[in-house]
Amino acid sequence: MFLPVTTVALALTVFAVDTITDLEIAIPVFYTAIILLSVSFLNKNGIVFVGLGCIALTLLSDLLTANNGVSEAGVINTALSLLAITSTTFLAVKIQSSKVAASEAQSQLAHVVRVTTLGELAASIAHEVNQPLAAAVINGNACLEWLAANPPNFDEARRAAALLVEDTHRASHILAQVRALTKGSTSEKGPVEINKTILATVALIDAEIQRSEVSVQTQLSNHLPIVDGDQVQLQQVILNLILNAIEAMNLVAAGPRVLVISSATSDSNGVLISVQDTGAGFAGKNFDRIFDAFYTTKPNGMGMGLAISRSIVENHCGRIWATPNSPRGAVFQFTLPNGRELNA
Amino acid sequence: MIENNNKPFVFVVDDDPHIRQALHGLIRSIQLNVHTFATTEEFLNFERPEAPGCLVLDVRLPGLNGLDFQHDLQRLKIDLPIIFITAHGDVPMSVRAIKAGAIEFLTKPFRHQDLVDAINVGIERDRSHRQAMTSLRELQSRFVSLTPRERQIMHKVTGGGPNKQIAAELKLSEFTVQVHRSHVMHKMKAKSLVDLVRMADKLQDCAKTA
Repeated sequence: MFLPVTTVALALTVFAVDTITDLEIAIPVFYTAIILLSVSFLNKNGIVFVGLGCIALTLLSDLLTANNGVSEAGVINTALSLLAITSTTFLAVKIQSSKVAASEAQSQLAHVVRVTTLGELAASIAHEVNQPLAAAVINGNACLEWLAANPPNFDEARRAAALLVEDTHRASHILAQVRALTKGSTSEKGPVEINKTILATVALIDAEIQRSEVSVQTQLSNHLPIVDGDQVQLQQVILNLILNAIEAMNLVAAGPRVLVISSATSDSNGVLISVQDTGAGFAGKNFDRIFDAFYTTKPNGMGMGLAISRSIVENHCGRIWATPNSPRGAVFQFTLPNGRELNA
Repeated sequence: MIENNNKPFVFVVDDDPHIRQALHGLIRSIQLNVHTFATTEEFLNFERPEAPGCLVLDVRLPGLNGLDFQHDLQRLKIDLPIIFITAHGDVPMSVRAIKAGAIEFLTKPFRHQDLVDAINVGIERDRSHRQAMTSLRELQSRFVSLTPRERQIMHKVTGGGPNKQIAAELKLSEFTVQVHRSHVMHKMKAKSLVDLVRMADKLQDCAKTA
């Protein structure tokens, strides 16, 4: 709010000074500062509008001072000022376009990183677990073959069965290592202001929100306790929920697309974060399974987003759940405990 | 010893010791000889017995792709039927392997009957290939035992020329041609002219591919 007010005040000042002073001083050149300021809070069309406004003010000021006589220097100064304003507007529009492109690229990057890290993780876990399982199947079959032989070879069958047991132990050992891995990565805990995290996440995928024509409303409470947690992981949870909400709303052609992200103090004096959408909701989906790994209703989904979100929230001693939104859509909510109480 | 040599062999190349051990047990349980190797070098250095066999090969080997090794074997003229096993096979990979002559492309964990069937197909293919090679070698040694004149006569006879014409071409008497011809039939162990023509074709095919 501060910047737009300053900009308007500055424009009026330039106009006043330009009108009062002599025509032979090129005061309107200072309008360029106003155009440059507008880049930080206006879109392309807004910048063009400001540029046109500055030209109009320059001409109006000339008109008001015209009764003092028109000098050659005055006309040249006005022309130069108009040229400066036009070219600055043009450059400002270009700056704005590249800013939009950069932010779009950033949001795509966030998407790609999310998908590829999940994909790689799943593929490597799948390979590691698949090897002992394959060995177990082969040993099981060998055991059956030895038993089916005539006469049955019990020594060999016993040996094969013992190997099978070893293989299954190896498989579960690998899974235990994976669990330890995900637990170990939560060690980066510290005080987190959840509202800042929410706003940073929304900013990160601003371009995605614009592209999907979703209206985002944030209802953030000002009296939240500090949470003790991993900022990056919590951001991942919020990002997952927001991207899911946007995808759900992209599935619905008609009706308003409203995403409400809110924060509040939970019943147990912790934090309650909620992400509401007006998307496709849970109709026809297996509601109980949405947080399960590899359960997905999306054609290209991996079924890992909500499973990982749940594991992160639970590692923070929180809880995550989903309810249908009214009249349509879904509400995902999660709680995080009060950081001070947790450490006390 | 000779008897043992003719029992089929299955060779396994897989870098995972547990898979190796399991396959070793499974293949023994279906009454076949088996040798396992952790690397392709170990396999190449192993002196393979003169017996029908096949190779069970993991696609992902340290430092080498199983499909490339299939190519290497072809260059080294090691003609052993291959069954690929893989933890994460994709369609293009399996198509490439089968096109290059692999028996089967199995994704772990596979049904053991699929592996057993593939092994049996592989051994049968190697057995008939070996038989064909043996009879070809025998044919070649018979051909080598012919005198230059006899080879000449064999060429003309299998080319379809009657004795009279051959005699005229080679400036020999028809009787001499007949004598050479019966020597050729005897030495080549041909039962009829048609038989001899078939042998000539086989020898020619072999000379072309060699």
